[in-house]
Amino acid sequence: MGQHVQERSYPWLAEGEVPPLPLDRDRIHIISQGVADPVFDYDIIPLTYTESRWMAFVIRCDEKDMKRVLPEPLKLHDDIVEFWYVIHKNTMLGPYMEMGVTFAATYDSPDGVTYKGGYYPYMYLSNDSPIWAGREPFGFPKKAAYIAAFEHGTNNNYFNMLMERRGYILHTANGRYSDKPVAAKPAFYGKTDWGRMNFRITTRPDVTNSIFELTYLPSELPPQFGTGHRFQLDPQSVRTATGADIRSWFMQGTPFDYMGGQIPAKEVIGLISFTFNLIIPPAQTLWTKTVERSADDMHHVLYSQPFKYTMRHRFLLPQYSQG
Amino acid sequence: MPSHLNVPTKYWELTKECPPPPVERDEKSWIIGNPADPVWDIDVLPLTYTDSRWSAFVVRVTEESRRRLCPNPPLQVWDGENADLVEFWYVNHTNTMLGPYLEFGVTISATYKDPKGNVWKAGYYPYMYLTGDAPVDAGRVLGFPKKMAYIRCTEHGGEKGNDFFGFAMTRNGYLIHSATGQYDDKPVTPPYFYGKTDWGKFNMKVITRPDVSSSEWQLTYLPSELPPEFNIKGHRFQIKPEFTRTASGDAINWFLQGTPFDNMGTELDITEVTGLISFTFDLVIPPAQVLWTETYERPASYRGYATPYKYGLRQQFPISQGS
Repeated sequence: MGQHVQERSYPWLAEGEVPPLPLDRDRIHIISQGVADPVFDYDIIPLTYTESRWMAFVIRCDEKDMKRVLPEPLKLHDDIVEFWYVIHKNTMLGPYMEMGVTFAATYDSPDGVTYKGGYYPYMYLSNDSPIWAGREPFGFPKKAAYIAAFEHGTNNNYFNMLMERRGYILHTANGRYSDKPVAAKPAFYGKTDWGRMNFRITTRPDVTNSIFELTYLPSELPPQFGTGHRFQLDPQSVRTATGADIRSWFMQGTPFDYMGGQIPAKEVIGLISFTFNLIIPPAQTLWTKTVERSADDMHHVLYSQPFKYTMRHRFLLPQYSQG
Repeated sequence: MPSHLNVPTKYWELTKECPPPPVERDEKSWIIGNPADPVWDIDVLPLTYTDSRWSAFVVRVTEESRRRLCPNPPLQVWDGENADLVEFWYVNHTNTMLGPYLEFGVTISATYKDPKGNVWKAGYYPYMYLTGDAPVDAGRVLGFPKKMAYIRCTEHGGEKGNDFFGFAMTRNGYLIHSATGQYDDKPVTPPYFYGKTDWGKFNMKVITRPDVSSSEWQLTYLPSELPPEFNIKGHRFQIKPEFTRTASGDAINWFLQGTPFDNMGTELDITEVTGLISFTFDLVIPPAQVLWTETYERPASYRGYATPYKYGLRQQFPISQGS
């Protein structure tokens, strides 16, 4: 005779430790699917982070490479790229690791305003809630990956970062902080007139159209939060390394992740690490374009030859699963 | 001297086994962000699966619980034959175009009556969990309520080599569900929609604006009959009956609970675990139709200014000790 047990209690509700169950709320208080139990929920708004540790390699890439991955309507500002890892400890989406790439870019709006921002062509995270909280409303290009980032040894002098997806190493770097000045910094560092930009694509369930949106997160805090930059750095926490201090650096493209093939570093200039608090407000939409698909296009998109791209369909099976 | 290596491998130029990135293609083929390197891409369409292994527990759920989980408007729970039988399923997908992955879901029989009086019948998914990022995101575009979780599906041992089974799912360190047992191959009554081509699948998609000012709910519908372009007559789930195994409720040990992050074990009021049906199958997933939409507007005062860290248990996360 099988033993069947179900524990249906939800004691945390009575203690006020969790928000009301989604099915007990008005529908304006559900911001994500599934509507019974969203992957990210309204109890995370606003997104606030404390004591996160940012570790940003500063690299130089070929402007031709960068322009190839920059979509309309953005313009490239320069060839300095922020190639960053973050340890998020205290967030409203769970502790998680994150990696991203930021280009300095601009957008000239039809009314003559030039918006300046760091644009993210690539991002990777270790957890589901922050991936879709970033992707769906705002357009962050987040994927899931194995990410490790460490500072360790005497005075936390040594650093090591590693990222892997589908069995391929995408990037690793290690070395020692010297606290010497880094020869170049991204154009947007510390500037409140430079926001952040993302390219959101929302495709209809029937795939008959996709809406492209350039979204913009200003760097000035919304009035409700006070004044200043929404990245609040702790100046005592800053460590730096020059390119020569970065003992090893390895980056490659893979069949599933093209970053290493698309923007190989021409020069690894240095590393800037700091501890910070952060607030992420709602985003503005600066530019929109809707791409419609005709019946003929649908044949091209939806009914193409299955398994045409075999390397992306015959997947690797892990040999040493820890399951 | 430090060692810095960038391997600029462009797989899409090296071999025809990988598609070029969206930014090098017609924009009509841009399905999902980011255009430099999306989390999934056109090469997965149409979604095809071969030799997947489906293991469906059949459970009885109270009418009150089913009504609560099927959002009304626009859905009604099925009130016909075997209305209380709900599918509580795991899948091991071995050959897909989104990578091998494990999946879990709950399916409730439901109906939708459109303004013209047509009645649409389908299994509705209130909960789904998967192990891979690409299939989570590809599914969410169609409206599936997918989250990521740690999932295990095992069949092994005994005279037939797969007489014993074990299934488990955890998320954020909490065990959500575990079931173990031994197939006894006794008859198990399936949910009403099993094998019926006039029963499709329903999902409720939520699209939230970047500024969080509104969310659009879309009831999406996946027909069970394939579009003619697929050249496959019959149900899009093609079962291989020779691999079917069953277990009665008495042959199953079962544990299910709600957690601070996942309310399924609380919301789903199961009165009986009636059995398990496991089978091997091929599958095609077509684009989805949108049957119903409704947009919920939020007042300007709503936008993201709730009290941070109000719900402590959802924001002070467990940190894995064994990582």
